[in-house]
Amino acid sequence: MTLEFKTSRRRFLQATGATGAVAATGIGLSGGTLAPASAQQAASAAGTATVVNKNICHQCPARCGIDVYTTGGKVHAIYGNPDHPIANGKLCPKGHLGTYILYDPDRFKGPMKRTNPNKGRDQDPKFVPISWDEALNTVAARLQALRDKGESHRFTLAFGRGWGASCAGLLGTFGKLYGSPNIGLGHSSMCSDGSKKAKHATDGNKDYNSYDYLNTNYILNFGAGFLEAFRPYNNNLQVWGHLRTKSPRARVTVVDVRLTTTGAAADRLVMIKPATDGAFALAIAHVILTEGLWERDFVGDFADPAMKFEAGKTLAADSFKEKWVSGLIEWWNAVVKDATPEWASKITTLTVKEIVTVAREFGSTRPAMALFERGPTAHTNGVHTGMAIHALNALVGSLFAKGGLAYQMGPAYGSLDVKSDDFLDDYAKAPERKKPRMDLVGSAEWPMADNQLQGVAKHHLAGNPYKIDTMMFYLTSPIFSAPGCKDWETALKDIFVIDTSPFPGETSVFADLVLPDHTYLERLQDAPTYPFQGYPLAQLRTPAVKPVHDTKVFGDILIEIGKRMKGPMGDYYKAVGNTENVVKALAKGFEKSPGDNGVNSFETWVQKGVWYKKPYHWRQVRGEFYEWDGTAYAKKMDAEEVKKKLLKTPSGKFEFKSGLMEAKADFVTAKVGIPAERVGFPQWFEAKHTGGGDLHVVTPKSSAHAEGRSANTPWAINIYQPTSGGRTQNLMEIHPEAAKKRNIADGDKVRVKSSIGTISATARYYAGLRPDTIVLPFGFGHWAYGRWAKGRGSGNVSEVTENVSDPISGLACYYTGKVTVEKA
Amino acid sequence: MTKWGMVIDLEKCTGCQACTAACQMENTRMPGEVWQDVIFYTEGTYPSATLSWLPRPCMHCEEPSCMHVCPTKATYKTGDGLVLVDWNRCIGCKYCMIACPYGVRFYSGERAEIQPDVRTVYPGEGDKVWSPPFQMPADKQDRSRGVGVAPANVVTKCTFCSHRISKAPKDASDLSGDNPATRESTPACVLTCPPTARYFGNLDDPNSEVSRLIAQKKGSRLLDHLGNRPQVYYVTGEGGSVPNVGSSRKA
Amino acid sequence: MNTTTNTASASNGMLAVGGIGLIVSLGIVLMKLMSEGHSAFATTANIPWGLPISTYLFFVLASTGLTFVAALSMVFGIKGFYPIAKRSVWLAIITLIAGFAALGLEIGHPFRMIWTFPAGMQFRSPMFWMGVFYTADLVLLLFKFQKMNADDWDSGASRQLGVASFVAVVLAQGTLGSVFGMMAMRPFWYDGLVPVFFLVTAALSGAAFVVLFIQIAYRGNTDSMPLDVKALMTGAMPKVFAAVLGVYLVFTIARTATGLWSNLEGNEVFRVMYGSMLFHFEFWIGLVVPFFILINGNLRNQATMQILASALVILALFIGRYEFVIMGQMVPMFKGQWTPGLASYMPGLAEWMLVVLAVSITLFLYALGARMFDLSGKPKS
Repeated sequence: MTLEFKTSRRRFLQATGATGAVAATGIGLSGGTLAPASAQQAASAAGTATVVNKNICHQCPARCGIDVYTTGGKVHAIYGNPDHPIANGKLCPKGHLGTYILYDPDRFKGPMKRTNPNKGRDQDPKFVPISWDEALNTVAARLQALRDKGESHRFTLAFGRGWGASCAGLLGTFGKLYGSPNIGLGHSSMCSDGSKKAKHATDGNKDYNSYDYLNTNYILNFGAGFLEAFRPYNNNLQVWGHLRTKSPRARVTVVDVRLTTTGAAADRLVMIKPATDGAFALAIAHVILTEGLWERDFVGDFADPAMKFEAGKTLAADSFKEKWVSGLIEWWNAVVKDATPEWASKITTLTVKEIVTVAREFGSTRPAMALFERGPTAHTNGVHTGMAIHALNALVGSLFAKGGLAYQMGPAYGSLDVKSDDFLDDYAKAPERKKPRMDLVGSAEWPMADNQLQGVAKHHLAGNPYKIDTMMFYLTSPIFSAPGCKDWETALKDIFVIDTSPFPGETSVFADLVLPDHTYLERLQDAPTYPFQGYPLAQLRTPAVKPVHDTKVFGDILIEIGKRMKGPMGDYYKAVGNTENVVKALAKGFEKSPGDNGVNSFETWVQKGVWYKKPYHWRQVRGEFYEWDGTAYAKKMDAEEVKKKLLKTPSGKFEFKSGLMEAKADFVTAKVGIPAERVGFPQWFEAKHTGGGDLHVVTPKSSAHAEGRSANTPWAINIYQPTSGGRTQNLMEIHPEAAKKRNIADGDKVRVKSSIGTISATARYYAGLRPDTIVLPFGFGHWAYGRWAKGRGSGNVSEVTENVSDPISGLACYYTGKVTVEKA
Repeated sequence: MTKWGMVIDLEKCTGCQACTAACQMENTRMPGEVWQDVIFYTEGTYPSATLSWLPRPCMHCEEPSCMHVCPTKATYKTGDGLVLVDWNRCIGCKYCMIACPYGVRFYSGERAEIQPDVRTVYPGEGDKVWSPPFQMPADKQDRSRGVGVAPANVVTKCTFCSHRISKAPKDASDLSGDNPATRESTPACVLTCPPTARYFGNLDDPNSEVSRLIAQKKGSRLLDHLGNRPQVYYVTGEGGSVPNVGSSRKA
Repeated sequence: MNTTTNTASASNGMLAVGGIGLIVSLGIVLMKLMSEGHSAFATTANIPWGLPISTYLFFVLASTGLTFVAALSMVFGIKGFYPIAKRSVWLAIITLIAGFAALGLEIGHPFRMIWTFPAGMQFRSPMFWMGVFYTADLVLLLFKFQKMNADDWDSGASRQLGVASFVAVVLAQGTLGSVFGMMAMRPFWYDGLVPVFFLVTAALSGAAFVVLFIQIAYRGNTDSMPLDVKALMTGAMPKVFAAVLGVYLVFTIARTATGLWSNLEGNEVFRVMYGSMLFHFEFWIGLVVPFFILINGNLRNQATMQILASALVILALFIGRYEFVIMGQMVPMFKGQWTPGLASYMPGLAEWMLVVLAVSITLFLYALGARMFDLSGKPKS
């Protein structure tokens, strides 16, 4: 942590120590009326005293701890939890929107069933309110009936933003006890599986990185919206203030297709042609190697110090003594020797000078990190692009280094005394339960992907591997957000749909049952951290108010359905009881491993809202790996330990020739077209652009929107697109030159067409954009979701985004589409 | 003496608009009533286009033109340097909106940019312009200081979170969310600013952090030639996103 | 006499038109205000002052000009203008009321002014003084009219009222000018000479109104006028009109040329104004054409030409007020990309109805006055 953060926390802890119980809620001395509050106290508070409850923001995956201010039973303010290492008492703009979401006038008021048998976008479902008992019994009866027929696999439950053990964490058990491989189909393939796969292929960790931004001196950012949406957004912003004023001031180069706030605030923005980031990364590697800028302590060196990497010249494999990497010379010979800046310049449209300058800066500044996420990987060449970028981190030795990248540790959670395996009945154990997954992951089609939710509608329509009977949705709405989303409108017509969203989203229009979840300020819910700074961290939502409407937290919905199942499954869920028991069981783990802030029980967790235990346990220092021994990084690790804990590849090293890929060489060759001898290398090949148009379309997230939870919030709508002035709607940004060629004036209504559909939008001239690319922010164009969201602004970009995915990672190619734009 | 003032470090500002959102939440403002706005400017064209920005609260000027033009003294200057509106006296002539060079004033009767109008969704009780469930607690609202939900047809503006800073510990010269003693009395925008680009404190105290920052980083004020003498100072560094604050009144 | 009957029937028509206009427009405005509140107006944070304010400006400055016309005889003793003095004072009163009506329905809490103005005593605000002086002006004009109506033209009190109302209105329009002229942050307005500019524009509207209404009173028939009125309307009046119009043209050209020439940030609005059809209509048709009519010795004495010239000038002044008020606000203050380019404003139904209301009030009260009082009244001697 930085000095400034550390200082503030120390000051905070001193003050809390001095003021006892009041300070335990993170509240200072001055308020007078402020008092500590348990969930129960808060819920019953009727007076004018202000109580503060701990919670976790729900607007993006970052999981910032928040303080929820409630007076007279009404929530009126949300601020960052000062004791929370991600939030540090701060929030991004979305963090402040929670009150509007809690009191959204369009929220569902309670469980409902559909009475209109016809389904369609324009069909009013004619919902009628029902009791929770009726709702849960209906679902349980349906599931029981499927099970009785031996068709339990036809019950599918898709989830998106799962939080922790008390919601998404329950799904695996439910699927196991019930007997369906489709309970808990995840959406990560519509999120950022490309970067995970790239890292899995090169350093063996199938995960997002944690980043030590506070100590870095150089960030080479490939397309991550660091100051717009990149998680943990709030902390990125905090880090930015530090990076730009620390000594030495960290330099930042941003690679993007348009002028973003991230690019503008950086030292340099290079506006690259979409889907060519891999070529740029390879050219950087080329310069680093040819100019001798690589980190010898980590990478190794030539046996003969006089030897050099020379462009176009192959080297003997044994000429180089590799340390923590493998396959460097093979990679050089096959790929990098020819990846000159001149070569990359032609592909990327960047100038040779830009490429060389960035490469030299990156290669000669330590510590430096290259980061990327969905941007460069949401193309058919995505994983390989990701591998090429991640290879740069190996070349400059930033893996597990101070100021470099690492991976996230999990929290010291406890578990329930009730063991689910004791409740498996013969049905659940039967071999017939081994059915293919509805998303075909694990089949010959998707042998390497982790998820493929975007394929489920197509698979259902084709009856491949079978037809879905009942589908439940938790925090995901592919009918709106999946590429080629209209497939879902057909698919959901003959599926019994159960929606759990508190909001009248698009899924609910096709729902047969609505079992509305609490909004987050009403929930008790845990969430371990998303990759942050590596050390373990787990936060908790506690209810700030009694549920505003007749809603139920998703975890309890699932448990209640479980209780209504016959046999041992029902017994299991009766034993589990409710999510509160689950959360309490998690907190048991803290007894043996108290957090740095003193959290050692459920009660203290509720009080502080977060448990964390610093530091991260491993560090690479000048080519040696060390483990934390309780006071210092002093325990030197041998190669075996490094392989087991950190570089989890077949070779135990960072692989420039990926063992993971080689193991699936036939598939890679067949699907991606890489010749057998090149399989496994980070490399660049042309992406297959979909859509059939002449303009690239990128669909970024904006700072007040991100995952779209603010769609029906006029306060957010009002500030969505500050750089191009979208005050009342989202606008399609287009370079004036490109617009004029198409006779489009600033402010004109336009049609955006691809091979699968047409949407309308309003054009806004924005000269800070490549003329071959348009920008249409993601997550707009609702045809449901509430009075402010519905029908506002442009159409939904998912309707012009073809459902094409990177064959290896399975990541939907959101940014690979090309469209035509014409005046409406 | 206390003269509250703010320093905004544009080199640290990320343009994220957390200040805007926090302000609207804390002060129960309607959509569009952006007391604290972030203003973006673009110039040039690909590949050398520039994008710059500055957050813009009320400047709480030492010589506020809005106050001088107000025919009813509804806009006034407090002893600790705030420029506030007494909603009981405001006649809604909007002359102050004309006279403010920084565009920081809003009319509570204005047509809603985003429909449906929140005033129809959360209808006002009594003469309040709206009454949302999430409004500021009643004991904090104060019409004579323009704090809380406004009545119809008056002019509203940033109060430097007067209801918060008035609870500051005596003699506190720096209000910061990082200090537990001042956290609850720090203005919302300053409290939440993730990159810590905003500082708030006593300009009359040469030892305050704001005074030191102004001195060390050459604080400048917007449209200084107009002579309003803002109590909000901007400091800049090398950031490419820093606009030329000498002349930011460009379209 | 024939003329009386004609005048009466004309005033009946006007009374009906004005009355219906008043009821309809007021009804619509009140309905809109009741149902939508001030959202009924299309003003924004960028353009807080819209058509109602420019309408207010138009009518109160017309009132000012009409007071000037009356003052020619009553204050400066130019006896030839006595025959139109009473009509001018009545018109000054009713246009002031029309202006106040437009303003009163536009501002948020008009009745709060009653206590906040005296309680505040904000002497630094030009608007405060504008309020004080125009209120004084209205009161003085009413007293003056009462005296005139009582045939008291020459008593000390009556004369002092005349002088006082003249002084009040000079100060009123001056402070009204300063409401705009003092705004250093808005270069389109910022000019210490706006009060002088307003003086000229007020005089021009006074002249135009008087000419138009006298022609209406005598149904465009110069021959039906009493001799002294006819002498004035074929002699000094059109000449004064021409002269004031000439001075106004000089002002307009000078102001526009300076605005177009200078590069000062904010003055780009002059280019917008110059590029608009509205401005060219106003300038060429509304000002230049009447000017050529009026400097022509033949044309200027013809009733139809006078009606045409005065109507065009009145229209031009109305447009001019609108341009002045709106364009002064078009450069957004710190809006950047939120309002790229200039701010725009398009008046809606409520605003237009306020214009109709002010016009209707003028017509209705004028016709009412014509029925109730002898507006051609003049000193016996």
